[in-house]
Amino acid sequence: MTPVPATVVLASVTVLALTADRLTTLGVLAAVLLGVCLRAPAARRRPYLVGTLVAGVSIVVISPFLWSGGGTLLWEGPTVPVLGVLDVTTDELVQAGLSGLRLVCVGLAFAVYTLFVDHDRLVGAVRFGRRSALAAALATRLVPTLERDAAGIREAVRGRGIELEGARAYATLLSPLVAGSLERATNLSEAMEARGFGRQGATRAPQPPWSWLDRLAVCAGVVLATAGVLWL
Amino acid sequence: MLGRVEHMTFAYAGADRQALDDVTLEISAGEHIAVLGPSGSGKSTLLRALAGLVPHFHGGRFAGSVVVAGCDTRVTRPAELAGTVASVFQDPEDQVVMTRVVNEVAFGLENVGAEPRRIWARAAEALARVGADQLADRRLDELSGGELQRVCLASALALAPEMLLLDEPTSQLDLDGAREFLDVVAGLDVTVVLSEQRISRALSLAERVVFVDEGRILLDASREQAEAWLAEERPAYLEPPAPGLHRLRPDSDRMLQLRGVSFSYRAGSPILDGVDLELRAGEVVVLEGPNGAGKSTLARIATGLLEPAAGRVERTGRAAYLTQDPGRYLVKETALQEVAFGVGGDRARARAALDRFGLSAFGDRHPRDLSSGERERLGLAAVAVVEPGLLVLDEPTRGIDPERKAELRAWIAELAAAGVAVLVVTHDESFPAHRRLRLTWERGLDAV
Repeated sequence: MTPVPATVVLASVTVLALTADRLTTLGVLAAVLLGVCLRAPAARRRPYLVGTLVAGVSIVVISPFLWSGGGTLLWEGPTVPVLGVLDVTTDELVQAGLSGLRLVCVGLAFAVYTLFVDHDRLVGAVRFGRRSALAAALATRLVPTLERDAAGIREAVRGRGIELEGARAYATLLSPLVAGSLERATNLSEAMEARGFGRQGATRAPQPPWSWLDRLAVCAGVVLATAGVLWL
Repeated sequence: MLGRVEHMTFAYAGADRQALDDVTLEISAGEHIAVLGPSGSGKSTLLRALAGLVPHFHGGRFAGSVVVAGCDTRVTRPAELAGTVASVFQDPEDQVVMTRVVNEVAFGLENVGAEPRRIWARAAEALARVGADQLADRRLDELSGGELQRVCLASALALAPEMLLLDEPTSQLDLDGAREFLDVVAGLDVTVVLSEQRISRALSLAERVVFVDEGRILLDASREQAEAWLAEERPAYLEPPAPGLHRLRPDSDRMLQLRGVSFSYRAGSPILDGVDLELRAGEVVVLEGPNGAGKSTLARIATGLLEPAAGRVERTGRAAYLTQDPGRYLVKETALQEVAFGVGGDRARARAALDRFGLSAFGDRHPRDLSSGERERLGLAAVAVVEPGLLVLDEPTRGIDPERKAELRAWIAELAAAGVAVLVVTHDESFPAHRRLRLTWERGLDAV
């Protein structure tokens, strides 16, 4: 599938995840997206899956205590200042499940986008705001570089026998990390200018035409989003 | 005449000295020119001036003129020169834009307005020219440094430039990656201006040599004349014999012992399997081996940065580890604070360490305001100040100029004589050592 139809489908899935209010719909959606993510190499998919699943489970665990709803009372705990009585009801659990699954679906859709969609061709296919699309694609691409720089700084400091303990110690590394990434950004923009970026009369490499599968995917995406808004 | 630099003087904005001072140079079509000189001497600035990036991208004070293929860089922007001039910079990671190889090569062609129907074909031809056609559909983040730099070269060659500017393109590459890259450059039929710290290789592929120091051209001569001049004036550039190490005492204390050490990043595929290693006080051991054999992993285990999955590690005294490219990983606001960070803020010790590495005048400067060579030395000072009993250095000579390489070797010899055990991971076959070991997947650790 070419990048634009794939992005349309993922956007539709996101709309569906945000509008659907049935656990089964969201559960099926999450399972399908997870199945797609699992086709990516383990090392690349791991941070996305861990981040998404941890965030989703956290929502399920925390939100019953922060939201008050009806239904059968399952557990009643102590009274906490500001929050009031801590309790868990069936409605609260359902709502927590919906919120958690929504977050998981959106996170997994983003993971599929990052892991499988060819950002380069998506940028190439964009007719307006190409520079913004390129900036977004570059930001995505530079995340692993930032991770490596953070690991490099931590290692360089530990290699000098300095043990970092606590959030404050790690926070001191943030400034050099930002400075380093700005330096990389400057180097990159210099290299881009040297390669003619921003010059008048730029052309575009021809993109492959849409296949019947691409057209079908766009139609399916629109139907999916509409169904999500109206019935699911 | 393809390029002409006339009485060019340039200072970066806010700099207290000129990066280039009254430089005059003529470049004929088809020449291969090696630009040599110490770090911070103005080599990169000269190449950037030929690309028009100085003064357009960097700003600063510019005098004189640079004309390339009839275009005066004072009025022609770098983007307009792209296609006539193409550049490859030091760090490949800082110059790639797209996520897939073939798209990366096509990026420049699109920018310069290449005929759309020819873009994919020209990208494929350029990749084939550098022997990277099999990488076309690969993701850039899956490539090694050497492969990535060859893709950058293909991106430059795809533009069919009249002049190719290579600014220390192998400084971030290992020996094999650098050799392959320079082999490709040697076979190119375009004008090449190459700034390089791998001197013997640069000399072998250039017919003309320009030596720059403190912003001035000290030599502009044929390769043969340049070799004679270097032997007289800058012998470090012709790889003089390494300094001799002191004789190791047989009863010296054991500073590091690794017994049966194993480690794996992924279950089921150990990168180290039952490795034994011992270092004594005052001993210098060089660790060689192919890429991916686990040399850096072993170095990290030796220093305590990684815990082995199996086996025993015993260390005596404080261990320190100098990472690759230490100048990139400086964390404090001034050079003095940077060095003092490792000794609990002890400024007296920090000043002494700065002095030892010729940086006493830079104590109040921000580390990122220093030149790359000064940053490297600051990285060394920051490690030296902790007075380690065991020092582990990971590829310390990569990308540094010959004179600093000689200084580094002398410093290592001095440390070893003072009783420090030193483990050096390097591809540099001329690095002085009491013992040389080779780490391979198949055989583990062997004496060379």
